Amino acid sequence: MRVGLLPNEGGGSYRFVIIALAIVGILISSLPVIVVTIMSFSAADNTGFPPEALSLRWYWDVIALFTADDASSAQSVVDSTLTSLLVAVIVMGISTFVCIPLAYALARGDRRIRGGMELLFTLPLVFPLVILGIAFLLIAESLRVDIGIWRIVIPHVALVLPFVLRNCLGAMNGISVEIEEAAVSLGASPLRAIWDVVIPLMKAGILAGLIFALIISFNEFTITFFMYTIDVSTLPIWMYSRTVSSLDPSTLALSVFIIVADVVLIVLVDKLIAGRASLF
Amino acid sequence: MVNKFSRRTVLSAGAGMATTLAMPSILRAGSHQPLAGKELRLLTWSDNTGLAVLDHIAKPFEEKTGARIIADRTGSTSEMVAKLRAAGDRAQYDVITLAGVGAVELAGDGLLAKPDLNLLPNLEQVDPRFRTGADGHGIGYLLWTGGLIYNTKTFKEPPTSYAQMWDAAHKNRLFLPPSTWTDALDTIFATGKMIGGDGTNADEAFAKLAELRDSILTFGENPAQLSELFRSDALDIGGVYAPAFYAKELMDPANSNMGATYDVDEGFFADLMYTIVPKSKPGDDDVVHAFLDFTLDAEVQGVMAEAVLNGPINQNAVMSEAAKASPFIIKPEQMGEAAVVHDKSFIADVREDWINRYNQTLS
Amino acid sequence: MSIALSRSRALAFSLPALIAILPFLGACFYIFRFSISGDKGTIDGYSIQPYLDLMTPFFGRSVWLTLKLAFVATLVAMLLAVPLAFLLTSLRSPLARRCLTVTILLPLILNLLVQAYGWILLLGPSGVLNSSLRSLGIIDRPIFLLFNETGVLLGLIQTSLPLAVFPIVSSVRGLSQEHLEAASSLGASQWRTFFDVTVPLLRPGLFGAASIVFAFNASAFAIPLLLGGRRVQMMGVAIRDMISPLFNWSGAAAAGMILIFITLIVLLFSSWLVRMTSENVRH
Repeated sequence: MRVGLLPNEGGGSYRFVIIALAIVGILISSLPVIVVTIMSFSAADNTGFPPEALSLRWYWDVIALFTADDASSAQSVVDSTLTSLLVAVIVMGISTFVCIPLAYALARGDRRIRGGMELLFTLPLVFPLVILGIAFLLIAESLRVDIGIWRIVIPHVALVLPFVLRNCLGAMNGISVEIEEAAVSLGASPLRAIWDVVIPLMKAGILAGLIFALIISFNEFTITFFMYTIDVSTLPIWMYSRTVSSLDPSTLALSVFIIVADVVLIVLVDKLIAGRASLF
Repeated sequence: MVNKFSRRTVLSAGAGMATTLAMPSILRAGSHQPLAGKELRLLTWSDNTGLAVLDHIAKPFEEKTGARIIADRTGSTSEMVAKLRAAGDRAQYDVITLAGVGAVELAGDGLLAKPDLNLLPNLEQVDPRFRTGADGHGIGYLLWTGGLIYNTKTFKEPPTSYAQMWDAAHKNRLFLPPSTWTDALDTIFATGKMIGGDGTNADEAFAKLAELRDSILTFGENPAQLSELFRSDALDIGGVYAPAFYAKELMDPANSNMGATYDVDEGFFADLMYTIVPKSKPGDDDVVHAFLDFTLDAEVQGVMAEAVLNGPINQNAVMSEAAKASPFIIKPEQMGEAAVVHDKSFIADVREDWINRYNQTLS
Repeated sequence: MSIALSRSRALAFSLPALIAILPFLGACFYIFRFSISGDKGTIDGYSIQPYLDLMTPFFGRSVWLTLKLAFVATLVAMLLAVPLAFLLTSLRSPLARRCLTVTILLPLILNLLVQAYGWILLLGPSGVLNSSLRSLGIIDRPIFLLFNETGVLLGLIQTSLPLAVFPIVSSVRGLSQEHLEAASSLGASQWRTFFDVTVPLLRPGLFGAASIVFAFNASAFAIPLLLGGRRVQMMGVAIRDMISPLFNWSGAAAAGMILIFITLIVLLFSSWLVRMTSENVRH
């Protein structure tokens, strides 16, 4: 039987405190989103909260945006969404592909090297994004070649590496060498043992990493703001030019759409990778 | 397959199709659509003033000339300048609209072309003071004007002096422009004038501004946020700030609680905005000049003035009666004593110092 | 039998990741080079002037404020993240787990501008909270939760919470069952088990999560801008101001280097702590 960290019954003050703190955490995460979602169903033009009457009118506005030819920006919202998706998927693929072997090497290798490497791969998180944005832009402009979508992919990969690596490493931590040794002693080659034994055990961490990469890249704004061009632009950039002008309920309805899109992506990745044995 | 997503292919395919479809009309329209098939890449503001550029300048221009405008609507003036500086001699835009200080900076970097004024016939109708700037690199566009924004619930009559901001009754219900905006420099100037100087008496002005430190609710970094705070009756007054952001709200004070005034003892502030052309623009000269000229058209100027409450610079600007009567739109002939137009070289000298001191004094 | 990783294989395993991070390192070097440039807008010559220019009381206060807020926000985020991770791992229904996961991820998904707007509706001077408290007669004057340090703290905690929860979830999954079972079969109380067994076992994961959260918070700039009403001058805001209206790019680079240096020290310290404590736990 699994001894949970959260007892199902009894436990007195411990259970109470843990649950209370978790609820505070959930509220802090979700309150603004809840408010925004409620407001997006408002029937009024202004944003008095709570709304006096409800309607779907702002959602129809947003649907019209997606279907009509939109002249308010260089890229239509459909183009930007496709670019965002493409970038996010490439970033997700690359970052996971490079982080799994690295996590394995770090977990099994020299502990001193591990500290240094972990630090190196945390760096992208530490740098203020604005200055990274300018640096990437100056470098990209000095290349004098049009690298298309890679203008955005390359910085995004750097940005998500810390998240993907941390999650993969966290998963590796729980996998003992003995399991692998058992596989090898049964005649598997070491690489085979990694593929058949270690990677399936890492699944939860890999999945978390994939989802982080996807979400962060899909929603990244600051660096993309410097890197986008008229030809290659993303959804958050498009969204920005809308939200700056006015925060009317249609913007909020659009935000709800984006949240739904993200959730669909998360579930999709979850299904694709984890299959039936979904770990989330 | 991946190539399918490439914006360029999609674009050229789209353009090809558009040309095919447009063919008969081109044949029919003949010389009426002299720029059919040409492209112009435009960079403008992300806020509602940029949106108005698309609706009231770009669209009619496309209809009139047959040229296609690809617009990028992201950023403030300083962000535009940063992007253009980084791009150096590989600009991706043909025309940019921006505030005066940005044009001066980019011209100083040697990144701007000098438009040929002979190709801009509408310039004749423009008030001579506002025709060009930034050493001939900027073509006048519209006047950005700043005054006081106030809560119509609190003020039955519009405030008549910036001194109202110091009234203890508005403690924690006051906003100021963020240090990074030119409006902050205007605020320093206004404070200087309020305490009896000519506006350049920065030391005294900062000492006076320091008194506001604990009264400020927020800095108006985000115009939409401010309008929400006014709507929910959390703000009383603030400035120097541009009514331009609030064309919609000012029409409907009952719901927005927002009012604006230029009629203050210390005067209001006006800054000429420009259209500029990078040296290394990708597009053709004729379409660029046609566009610059179009922004100065009497009708376009009138429509823009009404849409974003900017001051028109074309003296013959065609405006509706409502716009003519609107207290929020400053007409060139009103630019008398009360208007403060900064000496650009003075501002360039003190700008960095003032921005830093404003930050240090107030936040 | 050797399962131990040979040096060459370890290198081969690390190589793809090193290549992926190379452009970023290039950018880092670029920023470093810029921070010792003799010119403010371009890389030209060498000078330490950008650093000297930052030696002002104002910048010093900004550094202190950044560290203070990042530290407090990290502490609170960890305090909330651990229970959330426990809850997430003990939920049995996959649907409930998915919902909770998505809820925790929400702050990363939604445009910050829109989230800030949600907070204003809730906690603004005339927001839901203030107006209900006022109508209940609890307060006369609105309490100011936004546009000051409280607002920034709230925003930092919110945006960094997902970064804290998921690494802890991974460590919780890796917890050895035997330890917990042993503790509970010995009749230790829940709190005793928590402090004597769970926390020490989780410690490497906790420090890892905390350091990532701290680093993230220290470089924040959108939150202080939107929820601090610009009145809270964290370093991220100062750096942004230098980049775009002041065009003091060498100064921004220098400030960035200082921020990175400070954060790195904190990270090194925490990884040293992890090593010390995980050695104690090993038996």
